[in-house]
Amino acid sequence: MRGWDKVRASASGARFGRNSTMNERTPSSRTVRLGRVTPQAPTHRTIYCNDREANQLVRFRGNSISTTKYNFFTFLPKGLFEQFRRVANLYFLTISILSATKISPVSPITNVVPLSLVLLVSLVKEAFEDWKRFQNDMAINNYLIDVLQDQKWEPIPWKKLQVGDIVRVKQDGFFPADVLFLASTNPDGVCYIETANLDGETNLKIRKALERTWDYLTPEKASEFKGEVQCEQPNNSLYTFTGNLIIQKQTLALSPNQILLRGCSLRNTEYIVGAVIFTGHETKVMMNTMNVPSKRSTLERKLDKLILMLFGALFTMCLIGAIGSGVFIDRKYYYLALSKSVDDQFNPDNRFLVALLTMFTLITLYSTIIPISLYVSIEMIKFIQCTQFINKDLHMYHSETNTPALARTSNLNEELGQVEYIFSDKTGTLTRNLMEFFKCSIGGEVYGTGITEIEKGIAQQNGLKVSEHNSANSVHEKGFNFDDARLMRGGWRNEPNPDICKEFFRCLAICHTVLPEGDENPEKITYQAASPDESALVTAAKNFGFFFYRRTPTMIYVRESHVEKMGKIQDMSYEILNVLEFNSTRKRQSVICRYPDGRLVLYCKGADSVIFERLADVNADLKKVTREHLEQFGSAGLRTLCLAYRDLHPDMYESWNEKFIHAKSSLRDREKKLDEVAELIEKDLILIGCTAIEDKLQEGVPACIETLSRAGIKIWVLTGDKMETAINIAYACNLINNDMKQFIISSETDAIREVEERGDQVEIARFIKEEVKIQLKNCLEKAQHYLQTLSGPKLTLVIDGKCLMYALDPSLRVMLLNLSLNCTSVVCCRVSPLQKAQVTSLVKKGAQKITLSIGDGANDVSMIQAAHIGIGISGMEGMQAVMASDFAIAQFRFLTDLLLVHGRWSYLRLCKVVTYFFYKNLTFTLTQFWFTFQTGFSGQRFYDDWFQSLYNVIFTALPVIIVGLFDKDVSASLSKKYPQLYREGIRDVFFKWRVVAIWAFFSIYQSLIFFNFVTTSSKNGKNPSGKMFGLWDVSTMAFTCVVVTVNLRLLMMCNSITRWHYISVGGSILAWFVFIFIYSGIMTPMDRQENIYFTIYVLMSTFYFYLTILLVPIVALFGDFIYQGVQRWFFPYDYQIVQELHKHEADDTGGLDLVDTGNQLTPAEARRYAISQLPQERSKHTGFAFDSPGYESFFAAQLGVFAPHKAWDVARRASMKSRPKIPLKK
Amino acid sequence: MNTKGETSSGGAKDGALDSSSAAKKNSKKPKYSRFTQQELPACKPILTPGWVMTTFIAVGIIFIPIGFASLFASERVVEIVDRYDEDCVPPNYSYNKLAFIQSSATNKTCTKRLTVPKQMKSPIYIYYQLDNFYQNHRRYVKSRSDKQLRSRASEDETSDCKPEAVTKNNSAIVPCGLIAWSLFNDTYGFSVKNKVLEVSKKDIAWKSDQEHKFGSDVYPKNFQSGSLIGGAKLNASIPLSEQEDLIVWMRTAALPTFRKLYGKIETDLEANDEITVVIQNNYNTYSFGGKKRLVLSTTSWIGGKNDFLGVAYLTIGGLCLFMAISFILLYVIKPRPLGDPSYLSWNRGNVTESF
Repeated sequence: MRGWDKVRASASGARFGRNSTMNERTPSSRTVRLGRVTPQAPTHRTIYCNDREANQLVRFRGNSISTTKYNFFTFLPKGLFEQFRRVANLYFLTISILSATKISPVSPITNVVPLSLVLLVSLVKEAFEDWKRFQNDMAINNYLIDVLQDQKWEPIPWKKLQVGDIVRVKQDGFFPADVLFLASTNPDGVCYIETANLDGETNLKIRKALERTWDYLTPEKASEFKGEVQCEQPNNSLYTFTGNLIIQKQTLALSPNQILLRGCSLRNTEYIVGAVIFTGHETKVMMNTMNVPSKRSTLERKLDKLILMLFGALFTMCLIGAIGSGVFIDRKYYYLALSKSVDDQFNPDNRFLVALLTMFTLITLYSTIIPISLYVSIEMIKFIQCTQFINKDLHMYHSETNTPALARTSNLNEELGQVEYIFSDKTGTLTRNLMEFFKCSIGGEVYGTGITEIEKGIAQQNGLKVSEHNSANSVHEKGFNFDDARLMRGGWRNEPNPDICKEFFRCLAICHTVLPEGDENPEKITYQAASPDESALVTAAKNFGFFFYRRTPTMIYVRESHVEKMGKIQDMSYEILNVLEFNSTRKRQSVICRYPDGRLVLYCKGADSVIFERLADVNADLKKVTREHLEQFGSAGLRTLCLAYRDLHPDMYESWNEKFIHAKSSLRDREKKLDEVAELIEKDLILIGCTAIEDKLQEGVPACIETLSRAGIKIWVLTGDKMETAINIAYACNLINNDMKQFIISSETDAIREVEERGDQVEIARFIKEEVKIQLKNCLEKAQHYLQTLSGPKLTLVIDGKCLMYALDPSLRVMLLNLSLNCTSVVCCRVSPLQKAQVTSLVKKGAQKITLSIGDGANDVSMIQAAHIGIGISGMEGMQAVMASDFAIAQFRFLTDLLLVHGRWSYLRLCKVVTYFFYKNLTFTLTQFWFTFQTGFSGQRFYDDWFQSLYNVIFTALPVIIVGLFDKDVSASLSKKYPQLYREGIRDVFFKWRVVAIWAFFSIYQSLIFFNFVTTSSKNGKNPSGKMFGLWDVSTMAFTCVVVTVNLRLLMMCNSITRWHYISVGGSILAWFVFIFIYSGIMTPMDRQENIYFTIYVLMSTFYFYLTILLVPIVALFGDFIYQGVQRWFFPYDYQIVQELHKHEADDTGGLDLVDTGNQLTPAEARRYAISQLPQERSKHTGFAFDSPGYESFFAAQLGVFAPHKAWDVARRASMKSRPKIPLKK
Repeated sequence: MNTKGETSSGGAKDGALDSSSAAKKNSKKPKYSRFTQQELPACKPILTPGWVMTTFIAVGIIFIPIGFASLFASERVVEIVDRYDEDCVPPNYSYNKLAFIQSSATNKTCTKRLTVPKQMKSPIYIYYQLDNFYQNHRRYVKSRSDKQLRSRASEDETSDCKPEAVTKNNSAIVPCGLIAWSLFNDTYGFSVKNKVLEVSKKDIAWKSDQEHKFGSDVYPKNFQSGSLIGGAKLNASIPLSEQEDLIVWMRTAALPTFRKLYGKIETDLEANDEITVVIQNNYNTYSFGGKKRLVLSTTSWIGGKNDFLGVAYLTIGGLCLFMAISFILLYVIKPRPLGDPSYLSWNRGNVTESF
């Protein structure tokens, strides 16, 4: 049996890649060797609480954490290793080593200096970041925690904490490790925790200790505690935990409900006592720390190709030089003394060897063709762009949630300027995730008179004017925006079916997992709910007179009005027997409760599809009417839930409950078994009606989408909503309008339904696939037909998840891609998180377009990671989407700024930076190359070693960074006014091979000018005293020309020139002169040839110098200037036209306005602000009209594993308790 | 960059630890600054046709006078160039010039007559010009020891000088290396109307070389003592700093064709004067087919005769004016109104243009 455990452990270890390594670190005395299987950790660990010696044997890891990459000793080797993993650095290391050999014409400093400067910059950056991390760690490790020692609480630092220790955590304190919850000062052994650091949710969760351990609260008592915990090995699943507590030979099952995770904090509880089970890096939160897989931008990948091309050029140049040298070398040049025994490099007897060695010589000589400082410059530019521009943009600061934009990676700035497809989540991204109870249908009657934003939007598109009339008795509070006198204030009693109404309200008031907080007063109470839908429903019940005001682990208290007769208020208590939780497969939630009078009822709410399946075969009319209502609500953009109930027979319940308890206590597959058991009782339901909740649109979404689509970006909405809801949200968002041709591929057809009813899975799959294929083919044909006709309508595609599943099949994928790429917008509804990711990568890989995913919830994580750029909506939702994202913004509408302004600018700037780097290094190296022809291909260097080494890192380094930061073609407001400018980025206009070729052409031209003009004009006496120049005078002259020209060329390509441009360009040229004045003015005793000594002074004493310095740069730039003039005249870029259009407008000084508007809120804004200040509801969108408290968790989605929902569902504890058959109190 | 490395727990937790105690109203609103909002004052040059034309005209206007001035200065310079490497080989050796030059027995003296085309004001500079001589060859350039040249103390630092570093008995050669070894050794004597023209060898090297690179206490030693003689010998009693021929030679030339200053004549020469040059044709350029020329030249402010700069200035100036005119013509023939929205790509052609 144990052998099997080993096998399973290894299997699971392989599956959870990262876990396995952690497992192996925990040695165990119980390891058994099984054939060739290496020892694995057992599937569980045993912890002896309050017994350090017993735990000593196992040697658990300590509680100190270290998130640093390096320590004092490893910094240099490891840091350098990291640096040399970059090809460019490795290349320069190789070159540096080569240049230390005899074959090198340059001294090693030529390559070592730039390399070490680049490495220095990178290492300093690394060290700085690591130092910050180290300080964080130190601070955390040194927090104090009370630990039980000798029957006293002793404060010790966190890092000294060990597994098995008994700790005391006080109110508002953080849990130092994963702690088994033993006792709390609260009655019922309950404590409240905040998990904001884990998932960003600020609402409180309840944890409850096992009853058996409630007493171990005082130090005296706690020191008697000698339990043994057998639990799973450390893993990264935040929401699961399986284990047993063996205490006095009694085995008690542990669940996530007893686990307090490191990183959470204690709230509303004086203190708790717990036993440490996982420490330090083995805590769940630490095991979840992962680096976001770093994405590389498309531009950078193209840059790699460019570098490769440069390598090609380098090789060609070297080959030419090498062949030349082999041909040239000859004894006739007696002054080279080649006759005696001569070293291989110049031995005319072996020309092949000469060529080969010259090849290496020339590689070191031309090494500057690869711009060494390029990567580090780009990194710096991007880093500043992120931290200073994106993160601090006031346009992207959301004052209501106090959230600025956040760039979490700096790799992808320029990618933002090339996005062609946006995949957007709906809820929380396009919509506000502000749920308001809006309408309902009870017993076949629709209540609620409001008109949704979406209906208004549709009406407006149809040309209708909708006036908003607010009746006096409409009630509007957060979560409730309902107006119908027939139901309010007991009015329901006069409706045709008051009994159903009563069941409806009770269902709303009882069947939920909401926690009331604050005074038990309808005005003051606040509901803590895992989903805003639930809170809206409970709020609705409150407004209908069924005020849910208190919850205990076993009871729900509801203050009911008007039930017996009008105006009478009575407090009712319902005993909660079981809670059958919500999850994505069940799509429903049930509560079994016992009325005070003993009536046993199961209330159920859930998706129409699952509820209708489980209805008793009565009242077909009601079903039909309700279905119609559901569709009506759905098309109005409302979120619907069906409510149903069932009266239970006590005997039947008891027999079921036994099965339930059995399933509950099983250690393996608990969730699955619970689902199966739930299935047994959730049948023969009686339909009550349905609710409709409005999901409000985010601010500015339609305008933003309009702007983005003008920018040539196609927006796809991927949502779990119903098709009707999705389509209507798309309408309201301007994604679809009536001029567009819609293709709808839906699985909700009669034919499919018919097959589905037969229930044969294989048959269903085959049929749907066939159906999807036919539809796809049809749509594609039509789409192609429309595309052929000029000015045909724009196309949209709507497809639902089930069809998508088959359409993503490899055989149909191409068709789907073809069709969807022809559509301006695509709506995928009822899609799972996995499908979201699949659709994203379909476009990313299939169409080779730049994709961006934006979402707010855990269900968007996979999509966010699949896209080129992932954007998380921050400020409102949990942190999971943000944690997985590359950029986080507070509002969907900020995409305009992020893409059209920052993205476009970043793209433009980086294109300039890259092409400029390419140009300046090529130009410089080519002058060297031309010189090679004049030296008998001997590889003599033209420039002094120091010129060459400082060229990249000093004389031309800064201005290009300034351009990378400040260049601006048109202002931010114009970027948004002319979104079409963005298309230049999508087409990659500024980094095409054609652009590179033009730069290369001018590089060659300029280098020829430099070399030939300077050498030709230097052939005779250069001053009145007739003295001649030597090699080094000429090269200093040429280098001066190169530095001046290259820096001026930079100014020529700037769209806007700030002070910093002047300073950096002037400074670079000045730096060269200062350098050469000093360098050639001194004689050092160092071992170097004093070639450069006094050259600049010699040069500057002649008119020749001044004539040349005026002539050569102008001639060199002449070509570029003509090109730019002609290009602008005849083939203007769009941005150039826009520049001209707004030439005379002053630069927008929007900043000052922004500062002012921050304080003055319009009434609408004030209201929004007020709403935003209300306690926030948090949820993850589930896919249909109800947000489950724990949709497939982020980590589960990542691993592709089904993970059960969250453990801390408030109501869960009710069902966790194994109930005695007879109620305890009566 | 930094955010990437941050771990979800580390980063989030510390933020929370700090903020939980701090006041909630603590705004995260970024501070306004022109830098972060990217609103730095900037000038936005637009390369309008007007600017293009103006620039061209301006460059043209500046360049053409400079071009004329340089060309004029260059034209004022009188230069006599005479190739003598072939003429100075006796006819019987014309097919075996190498034998002639390498033989110690042959008479290397050669007399040439040059006519002064125009009046030459003193000082008249004498240059020798070599062709196809790779003074910039890597093996050649590095074959010297600056330390040895500079101070007597470093006499033995000859490691770079191979193969002309030491004599057979391992004593250092001063000056060592191929450059010094191959020192040019043709000599010229001038006379006009049987009157000998004094050739001054002073002040033909750059002062900086003379004073700092070549030591006044360094004397030639073991120079040209090997079996192969590369070129001139040096007077061992004169310090290197005074050996200006050597100093000039050792400032290696950039190109394989180069001139070096030989000396100067401090006498004015009249037009049509006939100069008799007595050349000691010692230097071997015959083995690699290099030409030897004697150059007599006056100078102006721009230096010796060199039309290149002037011509270049004039050409570019002219080209600029030409471009300016063509742009003006283009502007007339095919005007493009500035800032015409119809030129925007999305306004051009079909609205449904695919992008």
